[in-house]
Amino acid sequence: MSDNQLSTYIPSEPATARSRLIKPAILAGLVVIIALLPLLLGSPYLLHILILTLIYIIAAVSLRTITISGQFPLAHGAFMGIGAYLAGMASKHLGWSPWLTIPLAALVTMGIGMLIGYPFARLRALYYALGSLFFGIGVVYIIQAGGTWTGGYSGLTGIHPMFGGSKTAYYYFFLGLAIVSLLALYRFEFSRIGTNLKAIAQSHLVASSVGINEGWFRVLAVGVGCFFAGLAGAGYAHYNMVLSPASFNFMATLWLVMYVLIGGIDSFAGPIVGTIILILIPEFARGLKEYSPFLSAVLLLIVVYLMPKGLVSLPSLVRAWYSERRKGKKIAHVSGN
Amino acid sequence: MFLEIKGLTKQFGGLTAVNRFDMYVSEGEIVGLIGPNGAGKTTLFNLITGVLRPTKGRVIFDGEDITGKKAHIVAQRGIGRTFQLNPLFANFTVLENVSASFHLHPKSSLFDIYFSTKTYRRNEAYILEQSLEILKLVGLEKVKDELAKNLPHGYQKMLGIARALAVKPKLLLLDEPIAGMNPDEIDFTMTGIRKTRQQGTTIVVVEHNMMIMNLCDRVVVINFGQKVAEGTPEEVRKNQEVIQAYFGGEHAA
Repeated sequence: MSDNQLSTYIPSEPATARSRLIKPAILAGLVVIIALLPLLLGSPYLLHILILTLIYIIAAVSLRTITISGQFPLAHGAFMGIGAYLAGMASKHLGWSPWLTIPLAALVTMGIGMLIGYPFARLRALYYALGSLFFGIGVVYIIQAGGTWTGGYSGLTGIHPMFGGSKTAYYYFFLGLAIVSLLALYRFEFSRIGTNLKAIAQSHLVASSVGINEGWFRVLAVGVGCFFAGLAGAGYAHYNMVLSPASFNFMATLWLVMYVLIGGIDSFAGPIVGTIILILIPEFARGLKEYSPFLSAVLLLIVVYLMPKGLVSLPSLVRAWYSERRKGKKIAHVSGN
Repeated sequence: MFLEIKGLTKQFGGLTAVNRFDMYVSEGEIVGLIGPNGAGKTTLFNLITGVLRPTKGRVIFDGEDITGKKAHIVAQRGIGRTFQLNPLFANFTVLENVSASFHLHPKSSLFDIYFSTKTYRRNEAYILEQSLEILKLVGLEKVKDELAKNLPHGYQKMLGIARALAVKPKLLLLDEPIAGMNPDEIDFTMTGIRKTRQQGTTIVVVEHNMMIMNLCDRVVVINFGQKVAEGTPEEVRKNQEVIQAYFGGEHAA
């Protein structure tokens, strides 16, 4: 028997009506669980963690949106901070409603991102990373030096809440915000705009030779990414009601980068998976929490060596390994005959 | 004059890569730009297409001064080009390479794209149809779903030409389209270039492989950044200075 015949010998599983229903059924189950989580949990602390997870999912996915254009900024935590402090200051000093401060803060963050992104669009690789890194550090310094306006080192207090007392309302608000944001970013990536960004990332010379305005599309990607970072930050401000400059420092940026890298930078779902795993695991294993930077570093190494496409590629890797094994057994069986 | 280059000069520090270069191209021609390695051919292309800014001189295309314009503006004016190295989007499929290159004609607004309006969907359907047609023209339709980086060298170069055609160029600049190819690939590529010309595209082709001269109506020879000869392929083949440039002064006989 030739190799060719052997490989056709293995029957592929027929796509029955039942197996086709499995995926939608799992999805529907997930949606129901996510929607009912506040009732199931009963613990305000766990709900708090879930709310933070939703906020950081928006920020991490928006960071990845910038990276598809081939830019790797190290200032996303700072952009979250800009959104958070703008919303917080407008709420505290001007008494504006959260429904006004959150979209406005996101828009202004987008504007700042694009202004910064314009000169940065000429920088490549390491220079880009370093430039944005120092920008992020500068933002934290400005917040710390802001006196009564920003609350300085001790933080900004007196931000008005969105909803009175109940975390459940916040949970549903941020769930809705995350879904809308993810849909918006998904459409951005999987349209011709995203194609242009990916083209620029692969070769900016070839992209501009077909008429793609490289600079403008890079700035656009930064603008859109910063809009959602600002949105997440502003939402956080009205949820937490207290802001500290340390929440938006270089470590905050690095965590967002870790969510993206560990989850998988090549896929839209990557940062979502990365954020959920890196925020939730330390919470459920409380004893490990103080070691979480070390554990994350180990996790990053494991991911880099074993699954370069991130945790999100784990199921397909397992499936490939499993079918390889099955194939091996079949072949052993056949040659045994 | 369709394309006119006047006194074009590019200095990198103390090195003059292109020195007071003059050249013209008439509509419908295939002009060969040949010369040894390092003669300044690719630099000249980069100066025309806005990848580099000239130190001195003018580039006039279709009656408009395009000197120092940015690369995407030059593409908008109707100049398409290929690249010697990394000629394509490596992680896109062959078809995606061409359809992604349809950025200008038709052009959808950001609003149309984002909200997937009727205009956008109509444009995308047209782009798909046109992309397949271009792939057929250059003979790549069979591998349209392969990742570009997995293609053999000759196919990659041809895909570079297909990509450039998506700009609907009035003038096409080909940078060493047959360099490093085996004879079969050369045949394949030369056929593709001939077909492209039949569609009415003016072509300037840079090569140091003399085979390319068979395609050209006119040849310009460049060495050390300066024009050393110009004429029909037959004239240039007999030219002493050209022989010197290629084989060195002493052996010319």
